[in-house]
Amino acid sequence: MSLIELIDLEKIYNTTSVPVHAVNNVNFVIEKEEFTAIVGPSGSGKTTLLNLIGGLDKPTKGSILIEGEEIVNLKSGKLIDYRLHHIGFVFQAYNLIPVFTAKENVEFIMLLQGVGKAERDKRTIELLETVGLGDRINSRPSQMSGGQQQRVAVARALASRPNFVLADEPTANLDSTSAEALLDLMEELNEKYQMTFIFSTHDARVIKRARRVITLEDGAVKSDITAKN
Amino acid sequence: MLISLAWKNVWRNKKRSLIILTAIAFGLWGGLMSGSIMMGMGESMVETAINRDLAHIQIHDKNFVKENKISNFIPNGFEVIENARSIEGVKAVSGRTIIEGMAASPTSSYGVKIVGIEPQQARQVTDISKKIIAGSYFESKRKNQIIIGKKLAKRLNLKLRSKMVLSLQDLDGSIIYTACRVVGIFKTESSLFDDMNVFVRQKDLFKELNIDPIVHEIAIRLKSAQILQVTDEIIKAKFNHCIVRTWKELAPEVAFLSIMMQQFTYLFVAIILFALLFGITNTMLMSVMDRVRELGVLIAVGMKKRKVFTMILLETIFLSITGGFGGILIGGLTIAYFSSAGIDLSAFATSLENFGSSSILYPFLPFVMYIILTIMIVVAANIAAIYPALKAIRLQPSEAIRTY
Repeated sequence: MSLIELIDLEKIYNTTSVPVHAVNNVNFVIEKEEFTAIVGPSGSGKTTLLNLIGGLDKPTKGSILIEGEEIVNLKSGKLIDYRLHHIGFVFQAYNLIPVFTAKENVEFIMLLQGVGKAERDKRTIELLETVGLGDRINSRPSQMSGGQQQRVAVARALASRPNFVLADEPTANLDSTSAEALLDLMEELNEKYQMTFIFSTHDARVIKRARRVITLEDGAVKSDITAKN
Repeated sequence: MLISLAWKNVWRNKKRSLIILTAIAFGLWGGLMSGSIMMGMGESMVETAINRDLAHIQIHDKNFVKENKISNFIPNGFEVIENARSIEGVKAVSGRTIIEGMAASPTSSYGVKIVGIEPQQARQVTDISKKIIAGSYFESKRKNQIIIGKKLAKRLNLKLRSKMVLSLQDLDGSIIYTACRVVGIFKTESSLFDDMNVFVRQKDLFKELNIDPIVHEIAIRLKSAQILQVTDEIIKAKFNHCIVRTWKELAPEVAFLSIMMQQFTYLFVAIILFALLFGITNTMLMSVMDRVRELGVLIAVGMKKRKVFTMILLETIFLSITGGFGGILIGGLTIAYFSSAGIDLSAFATSLENFGSSSILYPFLPFVMYIILTIMIVVAANIAAIYPALKAIRLQPSEAIRTY
């Protein structure tokens, strides 16, 4: 069974006088352990597609199957639960809770899942050490660099032990050193822990590292290239 | 962690939070102070009425309640007095012989209530002896002494040691006249009382009327106002041939005023809280609008909308409770200070006398009121939180995340 299957997916915005096809008849499958980049110019529908896969938005038409389960018709509450237990999110602007420390930011997701305190503490420390921030567990986002904040965001995304991680332009706000370090980390997590990563990006460094590149243009898939090992 | 997050969120914008906290604290302080002054005034009216003449409980003959006639005295009144003294919780008992009559001076006359008392017993039940502003309280042994109020003295143009004539009916209905000498002039908090009541010794009265001792009113002072209800029931059961009434039944207007002051305090604070409610809502709304992206992220990563709602609610409660406790603390300390030092309102003494209230006010707020106020603050916070919380949970995560 495929991890993600998109069938005839369409998203039309009717906010202007002319309907906008943000996602237009998209069909593809993503298997477990993939390291996939969804690329395209601004306005090509990358973020919309990621939002649809992540259950943050509803498609106008089509199906989204996650491990064979249709998520399009899930009600709001169920969808939130689904996201909590199955999907990890990494955002362009890190979006950590500013009043929480790195540890609390990671721990918070497990708390929402109802994980016990001892288990939470253990997993939080492990995750922050994995992303190389074992010495910054008590630092607040404002006390960390952009790269470090994005690493905390990756640890937070993994905290729920998701089936896959959706990363929307994860390197867009980072300098090249931090971006490379983040990509190294995600690659390592993909290889070592078989974590599936799906990025939306137009960063050449990410595209270069991706093993599969899906290119969107005007909401439709223009090309879908898998690198040969 | 939700509680910790909510508490930390309150302090994210310290300036904004402190402004609303100060508004809540001072708003409540104002409400509490004015409430405690009103309550103090109410309490003062009750206390002065009890101390002046009502006592805690009074006993009358059933007919006397209908008609204040000399013949409607309490049967075996002195036995009732002795029995009443032996009741648990009773501090002192005073029998009064009450006759409606006319007080006349060489220049004028006025209708008065002639109250015959046994001075030593009366001293333990009421505080007229402490209100003497000229002369003394039946200290000499001379007969036919009379103590009158300042207002009556002025009305009849009487001074200390002036002679006056009381005209009253005896048991046969015949009018008798008795000359008295003013030995004391009192001034209580009620000018009406001072105008209408004169005090004479019972033994002088019985001698002038040529009758055996009788009493029309038995005033009972209790060891504590807390046992009023229970002692009233005991006395009612024991003297069921008489009418037994508490001060609340004797002076319902005073009791009503006291309750009304309490209600006004609640109303006053409720109005202040209602006004503050809009300020709190505005602050929380700004707080939500400042965090649209963050709230969107929380919903995106799996925080249920119910929890987002609870978080905003908790933030509002923390904000309100902090300001509320600040107000209660400042108010409590101010009230504590003035409840012992008193507030001198002698500039308005004349107006206060018409209400029967003392010119030195002791602000007072019962402890239960602080608890009710805290509940009122929490309720107000809950109401204030509804709109911002609804705004938060209606956010679409996909749109909220893109808000900068």
